[in-house]
Amino acid sequence: MKQTRFLINFLLLLIVQICIANFFRLSQYVMISILPAMILLIPIKHGTIPALFIAFVTGLAVDLLSDGLLGLNVLALVPVAFCRLGIIRLIFGDEIFARKEDISVPRQGIWKMSVAIIMAIALFLIIYIWADGAGTRPLWFSGIRFAASLASSYILSLFVASILAPERTSGSRR
Amino acid sequence: MVDERKIWAKVIGTVIFILMEIAALSMLKHSGSLQDIWITKASHRVMAWVWGGFDSVGHYFSLKTENENLARENAMLTEALRRSQDRVQTAMENGLLTDTTLIFSGYEHVPASIVKISRNKQHNYFILNKGYEDGVRPQSGVITSSGIVGIVDAVDKHYSYGMSFMNTGISISARLGNEGAVGPLTWDGITMDGAVLKEIPLQYKYSPGDTVWTSGNSMLFPPDIPLGIAGSSKVVNGAVNEIEVELFQSFAALRYVTVVSNSGREEIMYLENLEEGQGEE
Repeated sequence: MKQTRFLINFLLLLIVQICIANFFRLSQYVMISILPAMILLIPIKHGTIPALFIAFVTGLAVDLLSDGLLGLNVLALVPVAFCRLGIIRLIFGDEIFARKEDISVPRQGIWKMSVAIIMAIALFLIIYIWADGAGTRPLWFSGIRFAASLASSYILSLFVASILAPERTSGSRR
Repeated sequence: MVDERKIWAKVIGTVIFILMEIAALSMLKHSGSLQDIWITKASHRVMAWVWGGFDSVGHYFSLKTENENLARENAMLTEALRRSQDRVQTAMENGLLTDTTLIFSGYEHVPASIVKISRNKQHNYFILNKGYEDGVRPQSGVITSSGIVGIVDAVDKHYSYGMSFMNTGISISARLGNEGAVGPLTWDGITMDGAVLKEIPLQYKYSPGDTVWTSGNSMLFPPDIPLGIAGSSKVVNGAVNEIEVELFQSFAALRYVTVVSNSGREEIMYLENLEEGQGEE
C-alpha cells in the first residue's frame, strides 16, 4: 500500500515536471526541476541500481514529452541517483541505514533535508547547464542560471519532499 | 560474504551508471548540433589522452626496433644531404647559384608520432601527439620517408586528429614515373598497402614497377615523395587507365611521422580567391 501510494505520487509529480518543462518557462535564466528531489526521496531500501533505472526512465520520459534536447535530463539525473546514498550518508549519517529509515522533513528536520535537496539539485543543475550550453555560454550566464534555477527548484522541491515523505504516503504522522 | 556482495553491487552499479551516461550522451549527440560538436570534440580529447598514455607504455617496449629504423633513416638522410651539398657547391663554383638561402622547400616540417590509428574502417583516422602549440595547423599533410599517411583535420593544444589515407573520401595528386602523367591516388579500400592511381590517359605508356611520386600539385604535400610501385592496370570507360599501386608505407606498422605545412598556403589561397573574384566580375 505504502509502495503503491509512493508510486502514484511519483508518477503525478512526473506529470507536474513535464507540465513545468512545457508550460512554465519563466526566463532563459530559470530552469525549474523537481526531478533531483524525487530521486533523492526514493526509499532507502531500494539501492543504487533500482534508483539508476528509475532516474533513467524518469529523465527519458521528461525528455521525450517536453520539447528539449533528448538525453539532457537523463544525463543530469542519473548521476543524482548514483550519488543519492552518498549524499544521504554524508548529511544524515550511517545510523539511518542501520535503522532502515527513510528520509523526511519531520524525521530529519528542515535544515538537514534542505542541505541534501540542495546538493542533489546542484549536482543536477551543474551537469544540465554545462551540457545545455555545450561550452558556448559565458560563465556569468551559466552562474546566474545556476543560482536562479537552484533557488526556484529548491522551493518547489520542499513541497515534493512533503508529498513523497513516508509519513504522508503511509497515512500516519508521529 | 556480505562485504563481497556489497562490493559486487557497487561494481555493477558503477558499470550501469557509466552505460547509462554513455546512452544519454549518445542521445544528446544526435539531438542538438551544438551538443554534437561539443561531444565529438570532448571524445577526441579523451581518446587522445587515453591512447597517449597507452602509447607511452607500448613505446617503451619497442624502442630497440624504432631506434634501428631511425638510424637507417638517418643514414639515408645524411647521404641525401651530402649529395645535395655537393650539387650546391658545384652550382656555386660554376656561378649558377650565389645565395644558398634561395634554396627553400616551401614546407614547414614538424616531427610527430602516432598515438592512435584505426585501420579496420572505411573512414580511418589517426591521432598525433603534436598540437597547435607545436606548430601543427589544420589541412597539413602527414608523411613518412616512405610515403604519405593522411591529412590533419582538427588541432587541439597538444594533439591533432587526422584523416588517414586509408579513407575512401581522400585522394591525393600523384605522378607516375619521373615526368609522367598526374592523377588522383586513392586507397583501394581493402589492403593496408594498396592504392589505385586513376585518370591516367591511355596514350601514356608505363611499365609495371615504375615508381609513383607525389606531384606537388596540391598544397598539402611536397613534390617527389616516393609513394609506391605501379602494378597492373585496367581501362575504365574506354577512356582512361586505372593502375594498381603497391604503397611503400604499410599502415600496419606506423609510428613516427612528419607533419608538413605549406608556408605559402595563405598566399596561394589569396591569389585563388582574387582570381575567382575577378572571374565573377
